[in-house]
Amino acid sequence: MTTMSAPAAEVKAPPPKDDGREKGSFQGWLVILLAVVFGGLLAAVELTLGPAIAANKRNETLSRIPELISVPAADSQKLDIQPLAIPVTRDGKTTTYRVYRADRDKHPAGWVIQATGQGYADRIEILLGLSPDVASITGLFVLEQKETPGLGNKIAAIPWRSQFNGKPTGQALEVIKGGATQASQIDAITGATISSRSVAAIVNRVTADLRDRLAAEAGKEAS
Amino acid sequence: MNGGPTASQRFFLGILPENPVYRQMLGMCSTLAVTNNIQAAVTMAAAVLFVLVCANLIISLIRHWLTPYLRIVIFTLTIATFVTVADRALAAFVYPMSKMLGPYIPLIIVNCIIICRCEVCAAKQGPITAVADAAGQSLGFGLALVSLAAVRELLGSGMWFGSRVLPEAWPDWVIMVLPPGAFLTFGLLMGLVNWFTARRAGKEGA
Amino acid sequence: MSYLVDIFLIALSAALINNFIFYYFVGICPFLGVSRRVEMAFGMGCAVTFVITIAAAIAWGMTRFVLMPGAPLAQWVAGWFVDPETAKAVDLSILSYIVYIFAIAASVQFVEMYLRKYFPLLYRSFGVFLPLITTNCAILFACLTIMSQVAGVDDPAARWDLGRSLTMAAFGGLGFTLAIVIMAGIREELDACDVPAPFRGAPIALVVGGILAMAFMGFTGVDSGIKTALTRPAAMGVQAVSPPPAPVVATPAAEPGKQGAAK
Repeated sequence: MTTMSAPAAEVKAPPPKDDGREKGSFQGWLVILLAVVFGGLLAAVELTLGPAIAANKRNETLSRIPELISVPAADSQKLDIQPLAIPVTRDGKTTTYRVYRADRDKHPAGWVIQATGQGYADRIEILLGLSPDVASITGLFVLEQKETPGLGNKIAAIPWRSQFNGKPTGQALEVIKGGATQASQIDAITGATISSRSVAAIVNRVTADLRDRLAAEAGKEAS
Repeated sequence: MNGGPTASQRFFLGILPENPVYRQMLGMCSTLAVTNNIQAAVTMAAAVLFVLVCANLIISLIRHWLTPYLRIVIFTLTIATFVTVADRALAAFVYPMSKMLGPYIPLIIVNCIIICRCEVCAAKQGPITAVADAAGQSLGFGLALVSLAAVRELLGSGMWFGSRVLPEAWPDWVIMVLPPGAFLTFGLLMGLVNWFTARRAGKEGA
Repeated sequence: MSYLVDIFLIALSAALINNFIFYYFVGICPFLGVSRRVEMAFGMGCAVTFVITIAAAIAWGMTRFVLMPGAPLAQWVAGWFVDPETAKAVDLSILSYIVYIFAIAASVQFVEMYLRKYFPLLYRSFGVFLPLITTNCAILFACLTIMSQVAGVDDPAARWDLGRSLTMAAFGGLGFTLAIVIMAGIREELDACDVPAPFRGAPIALVVGGILAMAFMGFTGVDSGIKTALTRPAAMGVQAVSPPPAPVVATPAAEPGKQGAAK
């Protein structure tokens, strides 16, 4: 209930400015009255809408998970999703990855990792789905990007990002202009090579950082 | 306390003759920022409608006790409260849209339209007139936003409300949905509005 | 990546790449209203830069210690009334907007009084713009950016500190000044041109703004290029990173990173 009392305290500061007119003394009370009324209003809004907003934020990521680990949407109820925070130290800098571990019938169904990196215009935030044994990529989703509309923002479109499905994680992916032939190659988007490379770089960093950690986790469960 | 325009006059004045965007040049930030698609523009206009109606109503109800010193403080407090409410409501009910509009919803607090209407109308006239004025101004604002968004979304991505309108062969003018497109479209549309007004005034004069 | 590189990139991004006016469209009202003469535009720009930096410091402090979920000061105060476990859940972020707008109003008042008393010369050059600034979107926008970078970040290591916040605000203000001064320079020349009647005033200014925005778009990607160049071995990731000898224990795995950097 601390939210109730706080708004009033926050905005009480102005009233002492009394201009000495007839209205003046009433004005101070008016501000306090308004502050209390508005404080109550805001507290009510927070109490009623707060849970819904928190749920929206969670679902934004969670609703993508079945698709990313190739589980049909119909079976998504059976998934048991557990969020983990895994810190990885690289070059003296610690990055904390948010990893979702999905289990179905007590068996690992896959991993989904949330990661960010520098794109062409701004940060790119992706969700990367990995198979239970962490050997291959099962899906890629772009949560947030501000790349150039019409060019770079195609990284978020299915035709391009579905290229990542089934790629091995043991080897860094390479972005090729025009015609990827090998298993570890990704076609660059015409006119947006930097955006394409940025996404591939994030994916490579995630797999390099987390491959062994997650494989160890999965192995621990099995034994 | 009376003597200003009546409620219905206020309502219709806001839509075209005193259009906040094209005529008074108020609230330009959101006008330019959220008009790369129509849905965002409509959501923005709805948020402004809510905030403006609530703020105008409250200010009009307490107008007799306002003094010059604290008037602006009270305006700001009222507006900031209702903007917070609108922001939370959007996040709870239309989360993707709230994410897309991002900081431009809280920026309604410093949108000059609202503080200007509180000052010009709500602080002087009764609640009914104030609400009519708020509705008229918001509709005018919405109309301006949608007109701008319609041009930008159509030329920039060949779509309206997210579905394809122009034939596939249309080469999307990407620049229209980028920041420069906002300035160019708005400048040209405003020039067009001025030209029509001048022509009509010329005819009436002749 | 070192702290200085980070600061440099934030400054570059705030001033040029994601310019307040040409990229985020904040501060358009003064951009159109006070851009007729270069001296006026410069005065306005200075006033905005001044206030934005002060407001950013307040906003950062308030967000970090009072407003964000689990903020220490709010927790401490709440600890007086409820048990410590409940106090941990205190989240005052719903008050953010109200606090920011009053922080801005207060800092405008403060700057005005301070300048009038101690720097009358400076006050005469841009003091007149100060009252207008309270409703300048750019300042609230800077506060909101700081809020999202402080309260909206999961990873405590990625949270902006005071230095980053102030850099963003100050250089954002500089970028604003740059934009408005360029605009004023062009508009002074425009006075001598024969602009079609319906386009005189705001419309032609907006069209000029559009062309300037196109020019500023040329900066897009400069920061990612610099960042990649400075941190090439680790971030490029294009070259093959050979699978490292599998560490079995789940301790913080530094191995893969070091290998990548050694290449």
